[in-house]
Amino acid sequence: SWRSSALPPSERPGQRRGVEMKKLYGENAAKIQGMETAMQLTFDRNCDRKQPKYWPVIPLKL
Amino acid sequence: STTISSSTDTETDSVQIGEEQCARSMLRESFLRTLIAMTNKQVQFYMYERVKVNAVFGASDIDVLNFQVSDLQTPIGVQKEALLRCQDVILYSFDL
Amino acid sequence: MVEWRQLKPLEWCKYVNKKVKVTAHEKHQFDGWVFTVDPVSASIVLVTFQEKGGTATVRVVTGHAVQEVEILQEGNEETARRLRDTFMPLGGQVLSL
Repeated sequence: SWRSSALPPSERPGQRRGVEMKKLYGENAAKIQGMETAMQLTFDRNCDRKQPKYWPVIPLKL
Repeated sequence: STTISSSTDTETDSVQIGEEQCARSMLRESFLRTLIAMTNKQVQFYMYERVKVNAVFGASDIDVLNFQVSDLQTPIGVQKEALLRCQDVILYSFDL
Repeated sequence: MVEWRQLKPLEWCKYVNKKVKVTAHEKHQFDGWVFTVDPVSASIVLVTFQEKGGTATVRVVTGHAVQEVEILQEGNEETARRLRDTFMPLGGQVLSL
């Protein structure tokens, strides 16, 4: 997809994220990442299915 | 000597890093559990500009920038599906 | 006070299980027992327990809106247990993903 092809190798989100997570959460990184991934999947799935629009259209706080 | 003190520093550093990672994990896990507990609950959002809205919470992205909600009761009517920007929100509240 | 969002995880931990008063944007004040502080957004999760019915009200003040957090009361084991039970009704068992 355009996402993966457009990014330079050093910007691969998955890999960078793994290293970052390990630095932030140490031995608990896998557990936290698992919980986060589950939540992000739910968010992405809901957004795909429900096509929510931003409310309000213009941010209240810029 | 310099060698000993620097290796002790490194040890102290790694203990501190470990403690910080442990604290961060505990805090983050509890926050993720808060979001999980909020799923499908009626939530009140207090936003900037004194805007108050109710909605059913769906999910948040991992960076906590956007909330996906349903049945958003806005001052001018109900929006069936919506995204709220966390940047717009001061407080959100729900019952368990 | 150092800006709330700039604190380190170990400093946020000092507030967990304690009763606090949070002053937020436009002098809004909220109090409750601290369940956690999100280390990503600095949002603070406050719980107040209803005397009747055993329900709890959860209020989350977003990190960017927090101006000041003042400790009102120390927590104890009982508080910690009530807070845990509120969010982990399965007795603390790990959620399967």
